[in-house]
Amino acid sequence: MNSSGYIPPWTTPYIIGVGGTSGSGKTSVAAKLVSRINTPWTVLISLDNFYKPLSDEERQQAFQNNYDFDKPESIDMDLAYECVLSLKEGKQAKIPTYSFTDHDRIPNKLLTIYGASVIVVEGIYALYDQRLLDLMDLKIYVDADLDICLARRMTRDIIYRGRNLQGCISQWEQFVKPNADRFVRPTMKVADAIIPSISDNSIATEMLLNHIQSRLQLKSQQHLKELQKLGSYAVSIDSLKTIHKLRQTNQVKVLHTKLLDKTTSRDDWVFYFDRLATILLSLALEDIPTEPRNTEVVTPTNRLVENPIFANFDRVTAVNIVRSGDCFMRSLRKTIPSIAVGKLLIQSDSRTGEPQLHCLFIPPKIESYNQVLLMDAQIISGAAIIMAIQVLTDHSVELNKIKVVVYLATETGIRRIVNATNNKVEIYAGEIISDEMIRTNQCNWARKRFVAANYFGCK
Amino acid sequence: MSSTQPFPNVHLLAQSKQLLGLYTIIRDKDTIRSDFIFYSDRIIRLLVEEGLNHLPVTPKSITTETKQKFDGCSFLGKICGVSIVRAGESMEQGLRDCCRSVRIGKILIQRDEETALPKLFYEKLPEDIADRYVFLLDPMLATGGSAIMATEVLIQRGVLPERIFFLNLICSKEGVDNYHAKFPNVRIVTGALDAGLDENKYLTPGLGDFGDRYYCI
Repeated sequence: MNSSGYIPPWTTPYIIGVGGTSGSGKTSVAAKLVSRINTPWTVLISLDNFYKPLSDEERQQAFQNNYDFDKPESIDMDLAYECVLSLKEGKQAKIPTYSFTDHDRIPNKLLTIYGASVIVVEGIYALYDQRLLDLMDLKIYVDADLDICLARRMTRDIIYRGRNLQGCISQWEQFVKPNADRFVRPTMKVADAIIPSISDNSIATEMLLNHIQSRLQLKSQQHLKELQKLGSYAVSIDSLKTIHKLRQTNQVKVLHTKLLDKTTSRDDWVFYFDRLATILLSLALEDIPTEPRNTEVVTPTNRLVENPIFANFDRVTAVNIVRSGDCFMRSLRKTIPSIAVGKLLIQSDSRTGEPQLHCLFIPPKIESYNQVLLMDAQIISGAAIIMAIQVLTDHSVELNKIKVVVYLATETGIRRIVNATNNKVEIYAGEIISDEMIRTNQCNWARKRFVAANYFGCK
Repeated sequence: MSSTQPFPNVHLLAQSKQLLGLYTIIRDKDTIRSDFIFYSDRIIRLLVEEGLNHLPVTPKSITTETKQKFDGCSFLGKICGVSIVRAGESMEQGLRDCCRSVRIGKILIQRDEETALPKLFYEKLPEDIADRYVFLLDPMLATGGSAIMATEVLIQRGVLPERIFFLNLICSKEGVDNYHAKFPNVRIVTGALDAGLDENKYLTPGLGDFGDRYYCI
């Protein structure tokens, strides 16, 4: 998909590293950044998750407060790098979780992260490994005097973690302080910004946030520009075999008229949409996956059925774009009752119009299905569908298995999808409104999201 | 979905992989009844929709929510369904799914034990049926005996032959010929044309007794 130039926001995530000594307040700075950045898929990754599992002997030492958790080698930097790299490339990453009670990784408890557009990596050694540093767009060091760090650590460990004073102080002197001096504080040199963390650092964080916001804005403008570019290539969509427009029979025309008529009652509207959706789905399923089978088919009168076709409706799955794709749900369940259905929530930012992926539920092993119906009631800019297709390809679905099913589309939107996918996905559309009709303002309704609003009765 | 030579006025559904797959399921004697009903209903829905495609429309101008004029169209006439009891009744729901408040008449035709000919036992049709387009419903067209008798009833009640659409899932070539010899202007909408009839006048390959499979066995 990238060959054609579409780069979804999560293949160029903005990565921020936040380092600093133990007790310096880096965690609260990182948390503040995450909560204030206000972009979907802002992800906080703590390097604490990447502590190496301990051997039995080391575990004994740990239980006796005698194991050095503060040396750089105690963290699995290779794995941390792999995870962040994976996210940087727009792929999934599985983050381990570490149990401080057992001093081991919690088995089978992996955090799957996918589609991050901003990643904050936080930990004492966040700015330590050169490979991680190379992936970062912004490096922040949170600085506090070591006396203050000790005070914070003691408060935290004694009050919240139930440790005793003696153990705390011996750990500080034996491990934390020497490592901080030797390994952590020198990473200050590679930081782009150093935030003081003595009392109030709100001005410093505010300045950083402004900087991050302006960077993200640039990125989103770039994304929008690319989306626009995709629509401008001169492709005549009428000649493409991948685009299947519903035959404009009398019945389809009547249904379409009913759906556009503003005087149609809600009851009728839902009924007529379901009817049209059923016809459209039936078209999209015409070349249903079939399987060769050597079994004979015999009728109740013991006649052999020649050339039996074994259609396998279980080889089809669907992914709806919330909420307008959900308009197809009723007709879909009537057509294939047991179909597995995934959902994606993609919404356009109200200020910029940039599409943003908010959440996703993908059927397990989606790549093993023969066909994936990607459903949306309307395509206007095409941005959401392009993003959804990228999500599917990131989940190893091949482009030629994707069938976009849409009731009402604009020609520009369709052309963008064709360009973004090199014409590899099949598109089934109830109606496509030409550029000409849009330009001359004859079909303003085709640029308004009225289908889901009418179907669900919430504007 | 044009007329299929040499069967004028037969509208055969596009023989897509999906449709052939659905037919394979309902022909199979090992298909359990819940599946038989589900997949038959799917085919029936396609037949009804194809029938509706042939109804005439009239231009209609409407106003959209963006206050723009849109030149669309609406159906011209009134329709009704007429099912041949019992198997034809299985197709009523498919018609209702598309036309919610459609009127449905019934005709019962059974074989007279003495003459072995079809005999009309019962009819109940909308009073104004002469003004309507009629979807005649019977899943199987074998020899055409009962369909011919039912169509005669409709024409006697004043329905114009060109306003009758006979919807069925499977027909035999022989049945189509017999039917057309009598009613050249009635259109048949079907999904499968089977080779012929066996010595018991069953369609081959067919799918057995549709009514039995849909209702009780």
